[in-house]
Amino acid sequence: MNNTLLVTLIASGVAYGTPLLFASLGELLAERSGVLNLGVEGMMLVGAVMGFWTEQRVHAGPVVSLIVAVFVAAFSAACMAAIHAFLVITLRASQIVSGLALTIFAGAAGLSSYLGNDLNLADVPASHTFHAVFPSGMQNWPIVGPLVFGQTPLVYASWVCVAAIAYYLTRTRPGLNVRAVGESPAAADAMGISVTRYRYAHTIAGGAFAGVAGATFTLAITPQWVSGITGGAGWIAIALVIFAFWRPELCLVGAYFFGALQALAPELQARNISLGPTELWTNAMPYAATIVVLVLVSWRGARRRLGAPAALGVAYVREEA
Amino acid sequence: MATAPAIELRGITKRFPGVVANADVDFEAAPGEVHALLGENGAGKSTLSHIMSGLYRPDEGEIRLHGAPVVFHSPRDAIDAGVCMVHQHFRLVDRFTVAENLILGDRRGVGTHFRIEPGAVVDQVRRLGERYRLPVDPRARIWQLSVGERQRVEILKALYEEAKVLILDEPTAVLTPDEADTLFETLREIVQDGRTVIFISHKLNEVKAVSDRVTVLRGGRVVATVATSEASSQSLASLMVGRELDTVQRRRTDAGEGEAVLSVEGLSAESHRATTILEDIELTVRTGEIVAIAGVAGNGQRELAEAIAGLRQRTRGTVRVAGRPLRNGDARSAFRAGLGYVPEDRLGTGVAPNLPLSMNIELKSYREDSLGPFLRLGRMRERAEEAIRAYDIKAAGPHVEAATLSGGNIQKVVLAREFAGNLKALIAASPTRGLDVSAVETVHRHLCDAADRGVGILLISEDLDEILALADRVLVMYEGRLSPVGNRDDIDEIAVLMAGGQREE
Amino acid sequence: MRFTVERRLQQPRWLVVAVPLASVLFGFVVAAVVLLATGHDPVTSYRQLFDAAFVSTGSLDQTLIAATPLAFTGLAAAVAFRMRIFNIGAEGQLYMGSITGAAAGLYLGGRGSASPWVIAAMIVAGCAGGAAWASIAGALRAFFGTSEILTSLMLNYVAGYILTYLIFQSESYWRQTKGFNATVFPTGKPLPSNAVWPAWTLHTQGGIALPLGAGLAAVAAVLLWVLYRRTRFGFEVQVLGDSVGAARYAGVRTRRKILSVMAISGAIAGLGGASQVGDFSHSLDGDPNGLQRQGYGYAGIVVAALARYNPFAVVLVAFLIGGLDNAGNSLQGADFPSGRVGVIQGIILFSTLGGELLVRHRVRIARTPQAPAPEPAS
Repeated sequence: MNNTLLVTLIASGVAYGTPLLFASLGELLAERSGVLNLGVEGMMLVGAVMGFWTEQRVHAGPVVSLIVAVFVAAFSAACMAAIHAFLVITLRASQIVSGLALTIFAGAAGLSSYLGNDLNLADVPASHTFHAVFPSGMQNWPIVGPLVFGQTPLVYASWVCVAAIAYYLTRTRPGLNVRAVGESPAAADAMGISVTRYRYAHTIAGGAFAGVAGATFTLAITPQWVSGITGGAGWIAIALVIFAFWRPELCLVGAYFFGALQALAPELQARNISLGPTELWTNAMPYAATIVVLVLVSWRGARRRLGAPAALGVAYVREEA
Repeated sequence: MATAPAIELRGITKRFPGVVANADVDFEAAPGEVHALLGENGAGKSTLSHIMSGLYRPDEGEIRLHGAPVVFHSPRDAIDAGVCMVHQHFRLVDRFTVAENLILGDRRGVGTHFRIEPGAVVDQVRRLGERYRLPVDPRARIWQLSVGERQRVEILKALYEEAKVLILDEPTAVLTPDEADTLFETLREIVQDGRTVIFISHKLNEVKAVSDRVTVLRGGRVVATVATSEASSQSLASLMVGRELDTVQRRRTDAGEGEAVLSVEGLSAESHRATTILEDIELTVRTGEIVAIAGVAGNGQRELAEAIAGLRQRTRGTVRVAGRPLRNGDARSAFRAGLGYVPEDRLGTGVAPNLPLSMNIELKSYREDSLGPFLRLGRMRERAEEAIRAYDIKAAGPHVEAATLSGGNIQKVVLAREFAGNLKALIAASPTRGLDVSAVETVHRHLCDAADRGVGILLISEDLDEILALADRVLVMYEGRLSPVGNRDDIDEIAVLMAGGQREE
Repeated sequence: MRFTVERRLQQPRWLVVAVPLASVLFGFVVAAVVLLATGHDPVTSYRQLFDAAFVSTGSLDQTLIAATPLAFTGLAAAVAFRMRIFNIGAEGQLYMGSITGAAAGLYLGGRGSASPWVIAAMIVAGCAGGAAWASIAGALRAFFGTSEILTSLMLNYVAGYILTYLIFQSESYWRQTKGFNATVFPTGKPLPSNAVWPAWTLHTQGGIALPLGAGLAAVAAVLLWVLYRRTRFGFEVQVLGDSVGAARYAGVRTRRKILSVMAISGAIAGLGGASQVGDFSHSLDGDPNGLQRQGYGYAGIVVAALARYNPFAVVLVAFLIGGLDNAGNSLQGADFPSGRVGVIQGIILFSTLGGELLVRHRVRIARTPQAPAPEPAS
């Protein structure tokens, strides 16, 4: 593999990986608090459509309308997450079933497509999109040019988010609390930490990140609205959280790796390199790799160090503790 | 009165659907005293401690701290007011370090900063540990610690929160006698500087050893508060149960050369953590004999019962029931050979909690009560009805879910099932734990009757009174090894062996 | 005043029926509010829906077509979830069943009218394909303790890519390689005529035909009910589902049971896949926007949850949800935007899921502030 291929791959890994990164950071926050949300795909789509709509309707400069659009995308997807939170935290419904119901409600055959229809968003090009911000001279520098200076502001924002979440979880008091809530809600509760409040907050914040991830599609990658535009990225994001052992910094690595895999098949084809059924294995790799990781972390010693938050998927009820 | 009590309860009443857990309870504990709360299981000790620690709110009554009335809306309120509870099931985050657990939810000191630095409390933890004899590595993760160490962390947590009143719920249940003695010293240190310790227990000797005063609860009411030095074990016991104990006294048999119905040779097994927990166990139970295994919980008793009953793989050794060797790790082969097992974990192992009694009673015989692959449901129902009648199980019928029954009735379901069929030997692991007095008597009577019928019984128990009342022979389990006791009535010798001491020759 | 939620000591039987019904009603009301808020008349929408689903000519036929795969995936989920094996891989197992089912039909089929042998072989192959795929997650759970929730979810995607690969990215046995169309748009090779599954005409004028698959789903529901309620296997599975400790104590081989439940669950989903090929598409559908767009596997889990994992209720709920799906597809157009059905379905799902709490718990309104009343510590 020559150098250019590698750089191209990493660059497109960053491009395709950014929505994965945002969505997986959101899912990571929810899962760290003990809430599994399988509705990422639906939340992303709602974020995508609402972000796109806002950008169409806000008649201001590109900077303002894009910023407003991203916030609306985050807010609307957070509302979707709030439904899930209410069902699984307050009403103690099954997290699996509720997450799937959210996908049906919000997903490609649900609310997102309903909104896209009602708001007449199909076949309209975006009026403003995210572009690279650094001067093209810098972008042409070898290697670091395309990788570091050729990115859109969303990419830089995602890097900030990774650092912020990593710092939040390991170095701050609310971060410590949320980890405790996800590991042992009874212990957290006994120390006066509100399990309910923390789970709500992080599930909803997780939704907001999924919304931004969706907006990344409609405002940067393929700047238009098509029903089902995310094409399963929400599910990859769920896989990614596991693949990253529930750690934000590894989410970054994983997101770019999975993103690069998506670009690998066409790149290889363009270069006439044949590595067997390329599309099949490049597409299936993220999932297969995640299964391998899952098996690894279920081993005795690894489970405690690297495994899922101990209370993931379990409703907390004080009197039964 | 010179000083107001550190904590004072006035007229506390707490009702649950169908039960009054605490009725008009008055209780007080002074600064600098260890005050024991003594009572049978179900006497209302836990509810009362949950009220003091803010987990429950009383329906009636008032809590005062140093004379001032307080209302706790949550455990956090209680902690802020200086009342901390050390739960029986530790409230620790396994994956956190000791230091992280300490600053979790902390509202003073380093815990108030947005940015946290668990390293900052390391020295403080060390100092507290040295001062109160609670040595523990602040950087260790909880899952790496032993049970005794985890308890130390819980107590350190309370001290770190500057608790004025510490409530300990059955703290010795998980400790060896040595560890318990150390704990008692720690508790004395703690009250030295004017704190109060409330020590919840149903074990008379511990209460005698550690407390200054005792409050006895029975049926949710306070029956007496006495100075420990003025009370005898006998008087406390009768206060606790409300009448003189008339435990079943068994006519001892000298099984001598009777047929060995259960024999264990060279058995070794591993714990969940893949470390050897049982080593080279030799054991024989003869027909009509009750052999007891005494010891502090966690020394391998549970694993021994499971390894014999086929619920755990043996790494070495053989088990025979009436001469027939059992397949390793095969529960079916064990009960088919005539080995019954009353497990320690009644509600999760002894019965399937949310399934009807008819299924629970047939848990081991459904294979026989079926035609080919199909169940004979009519017959299963009849069997269940018979058992309900014969064992006087208080239940509306065979369709009732097991979990809705009381502990005593659940144990009757287990016994009814185990005694059905051709039983040759029975393992009874803590068969009366958590049961009320009359249920204990019923269980004991059934065990004695079975022994009289020729069943060999291996009784595993932490309750020395139970062992002394029932056993023909006593063995003590300590760190995965068994030592025989020369004279089964020699409590001192049993106690020495339980603490890991050698038998005096 | 505040609300407290406590666990019911006893569940009255009528609640089990009344609560879901009330929840569905509540869901329709909420959905009506949403429709109103977005400027649509709910009464008209509901009438259109109901018409398109169950009343108008040919609607029942289409509803059966939409309901059949949901019944299979719903049963697949119900079998596993009842035992607390959370197989969310019915989606991928269905794909695998369609691949193996199609292979059997293509290989064994020939001219003439429907051959019971060929069809039986397709059924067996479909079951085997689904079961084998499910067994990957089953074995990982049984031997390594790996969460089947996540592995089965991941395997769905792998299966989807295999399906697409067979038709779109390779010259596989399943792909139509002859003819003009084959070069324009890749499709699956059509089944030989005797491998096409028959349907029974129930009502000639209405054009209602019962596909073989729908009948098989009903039979499967009965068999599953018997298996769980009347057999030793079912006894063991119930015990294991309730308490692993009690199951081991009763001498149940837990690993074997996990493996067999996963395999049964996968077999039913796989049968659904074979039915897709044999009953409806008559060739392997590898289009990412075809079968894979439907999400039958995920919808099946929701169907199973709504049916409270009872096999007969699964068939009924599948029929109702299938009706909504069918209505959504046939109404799609200017005055009934796509997605509206998804929204209504979603709201009803949320409302029924939330309503579950009321079956197991009682909500009390306390006049004075009161702590949640816990059960006495045992």
